[in-house]
Amino acid sequence: MSTRKPNDYKSELKPIWCPGCGDFGVLASLYRSMADMDLDPSRTVIVSGIGCSSRLPHFASTYGIHTLHGRPLPVAMGVKLANPDLTVIAVGGDGDGFAIGAGHFPHASRRNIDVTYLVMDNEIYGLTKGQASPTSLFEQKAPSTPFGNPEDPLNPLALAIAAGASFVARGASFNTKALTELITQAVEHKGFSYIDAMSPCTTFNNTQESWKDAVTDVAPDHDPTDRVKAFDLALRGGFSLGILYRQERTTQTERYRAILEQAKPSDVNVMLDGFNARKGAAIGKPA
Amino acid sequence: MASIPAASGPSRPRCPESSQGPVDSPPGPRASRVQFLHGGTLSARNSVVVRLAGESGEGVISCGDILTQAAARGGYYTQTFRTFPAEIKGGPCMYQFRLSDEPIWSHGKDVDLLVCFNQEAWDLNWDSLGPEGVILYDSIEVTIPDEYIERARPVRMDELAKEIGGSTRAKNMVAAGAIAAVIAFDTTPIEELVLRRYAHKEGVADANIAALHAGAIEAHDLKGRYPLVPPVEVEEDRMLISGNQAIAVGAVAAGVKYFAGYPITPASDILEWLSVRLPQVGGLTIQCEDEIASLASVVGASYTGAKAMTATSGPGISLMNELIGYAGTAEIPVVIVDAQRGGPSTGLPTKTEQSDLNQALYGSHGEAPRVVMAPVSVEDCFYSIVDAFNYAEEFQVPVLLLTDQGLATRLEVIHRPDPEKLNIVCRTTSAGIAREDYKRYEYTDSGVSPMGLPGEPEGMYVATGIEHDEYGHPGYTPEIHLGMQTKRLGKLEPIRETSRVATHGEAQPADIAFIGFGSTFGPVREAVDRLAEQGLSVGAFYPRVLGPFPASRAEEFVANAKRIIVPEVNYTGQLARLIKAETTINELESVAKCDGLPFTAEAIIDLAAQEVAA
Ligand SMILES: Cc1ncc(C[n+]2csc(CCOP(=O)(O)OP(=O)(O)O)c2C)c(N)n1
Ligand code: SF4
Repeated sequence: MSTRKPNDYKSELKPIWCPGCGDFGVLASLYRSMADMDLDPSRTVIVSGIGCSSRLPHFASTYGIHTLHGRPLPVAMGVKLANPDLTVIAVGGDGDGFAIGAGHFPHASRRNIDVTYLVMDNEIYGLTKGQASPTSLFEQKAPSTPFGNPEDPLNPLALAIAAGASFVARGASFNTKALTELITQAVEHKGFSYIDAMSPCTTFNNTQESWKDAVTDVAPDHDPTDRVKAFDLALRGGFSLGILYRQERTTQTERYRAILEQAKPSDVNVMLDGFNARKGAAIGKPA
Repeated sequence: MASIPAASGPSRPRCPESSQGPVDSPPGPRASRVQFLHGGTLSARNSVVVRLAGESGEGVISCGDILTQAAARGGYYTQTFRTFPAEIKGGPCMYQFRLSDEPIWSHGKDVDLLVCFNQEAWDLNWDSLGPEGVILYDSIEVTIPDEYIERARPVRMDELAKEIGGSTRAKNMVAAGAIAAVIAFDTTPIEELVLRRYAHKEGVADANIAALHAGAIEAHDLKGRYPLVPPVEVEEDRMLISGNQAIAVGAVAAGVKYFAGYPITPASDILEWLSVRLPQVGGLTIQCEDEIASLASVVGASYTGAKAMTATSGPGISLMNELIGYAGTAEIPVVIVDAQRGGPSTGLPTKTEQSDLNQALYGSHGEAPRVVMAPVSVEDCFYSIVDAFNYAEEFQVPVLLLTDQGLATRLEVIHRPDPEKLNIVCRTTSAGIAREDYKRYEYTDSGVSPMGLPGEPEGMYVATGIEHDEYGHPGYTPEIHLGMQTKRLGKLEPIRETSRVATHGEAQPADIAFIGFGSTFGPVREAVDRLAEQGLSVGAFYPRVLGPFPASRAEEFVANAKRIIVPEVNYTGQLARLIKAETTINELESVAKCDGLPFTAEAIIDLAAQEVAA
């Protein structure tokens, strides 16, 4: 039985987002999900990058790390590896995650870091005032693409599945009930769980209405354990909401724990003795 | 803790010394000195300098390693210096080691025994030979010019190795045997090491030992040409260790629990060594996708309270710069080792340089707090990494520890540090502070605020690199920015007065004052001793912490000096500029040397002579 209420996870800071910004819906879903799971705020760490969406940790009364542009995933990994008892949720924007931080996303996926990654995807750079992002559409006009975006967008869900993420889902800020449920499943999932949360930027790329019309639920007969089908669904385009892929796989935390358990306990004195000159330290090789 | 024994004369005021370890204190001078049989002092320290050269992959490095190891086992002090080609296969490599019965501080300049595995080895290294130096060379591969033939002996390295072991593999042992004969080095420790190394391979050990003996016979007419003074009183606590290894094991002593890194020469040893060792003490090591991820994950680990570090070289530091500013602003302790190599860009990946000082001091945008350190010897690498963690924890800042290729990869005999005697600092946390109104970035007298750690209900906060008020809430008012910059930069000020400085010679030299950083300390220290023997009043001042700089202590040190010489291995004289910027010292001789090689003591002595002559 949950004893905490969504409001218990609100910080004293009010979000600084524009009225109507999709990120409000994501934040509300996160509060509710944390309450549903009754997460201990002092054992929960929300890690973000830089962007409008990345301000989120300041609005939650949990532990938080507002890092650098593009870096929430490696920071979150360090948190989880150093203290596996913590619940670690990384959040950010599409620019943060798939432009400047794109180098980290496939590695978090293949390592199966035990972290939930919630991307508020608005297909635009919000904070820097509306430039094209890696998920902006071909021919989309933006201050940096006055002749229309000459590039094709990246498909983060397909990328996540290809790279080895073990939980891949899509939600939408305007569908908070379903998004809440997805976040809960993602956090409870063992391993790297990625949620692409459609979260319109009402100021620079107002897709709210068109997205509402475009979304469909993942078909009830979709088998999320089938990686090929999941990949197919991700590639097909359109906006299917729900869990595309889910896999049971040992997590990075578990694999490192196994290494720890196998290691022969030692201490610094034994290590120093390994270098003893008189006993013929084996250069380069641990004794 | 012990400080350096005074070079001569009555006691003079000394610079503040180590609180951490007996860094400059191998055992005192030996009581008796054995004279060389054939007359002629080869070097002031009864030392022998051996240089092996050949193609990488030919056994040059393994030959040098086993001799160094055997010498250490036999009770000698040793220091090595090596250069590798940047390529994996082929290319010239060189391994120099200096042996002595007494502590030594540099790898030596004039080579007493040059061993050439091939012709290129001779072509590249002949000019390192001392005036009386002798040559051993492969009888088939190498031709030696007539004027050297008198002091050169052919050794049938390939031939004998094939004869004995069926392949050229044992060539290095033939060479080792010949070298041992020339320096009258008892081969027992070599044989013991061979037996140990090949304990599980039948016949291999025997073949290697046979090759060793065969090599010794080859060089028999040079036998004892450079007899080393046999060591007396060999303590049991000696270790043979490299700078990188000293850092790695020192980090364990300091309590490191998380290491993340990305492979790069010459820092990779630390990653590799800790990947075996950290799990044994309940920590872990991870190889990341790049240096940004490495430091980012170190930040994350440290946020939870774990002592965390990374190690890299110049290119990696360039990538980490933004995160260094972050860690400074968010006040998260991290330790970053920079094993400097030749720059700029990919530069000289396998050569040495001290050219990242500016980057370490000033890298990252804005004005971000950090502590920049430079250990002066292999032994000091151990104590300095402990200090680095202590500074990081006490002041909640990033600490950069600068070594260089020479120091990181060289092997040295040092005395075993006693971990029990170390002063280990841990950060102040919010635990037990039990307050409703916890302020993570609270203004305090020291500028350091208790850090909340996940799991502590009272310590909840959001770490951030955006300017923030005492709670960590974003805030950009003039008061907040000025207040927080003052807090973050001001908290480091006490370090100027309390940091450890390595000194040698006079505390206030009247003739020549050397100021330097890092690995040039060894040759400078040796030069100081020899110049003092010539009657000069000389001293060396090596701050182990360069940022914040111990300005007033440096000024005090040079107060009486006629000349101030600042040697460093880079092009622009970065330390000289720092001294001018930070102190009232204006008249100094900046000796910036940029050739990818470390200083020798002789080169330092020459500096002293040049001006005297002028
Ligand atoms: C290294 C670096 N480059 C550029 C920026 C400027 N910057 C801040 S946020 C941002 C993009 C934000 O877009 P997104 O990640 O999609 O987040 P949103 O604001 O849309 O939520 C950029 C380019 C920065 N902070 N750091
Ligand atoms: S600019 Fe866009 S993304 Fe940023 S707060 Fe406003 S609506 Fe949201």
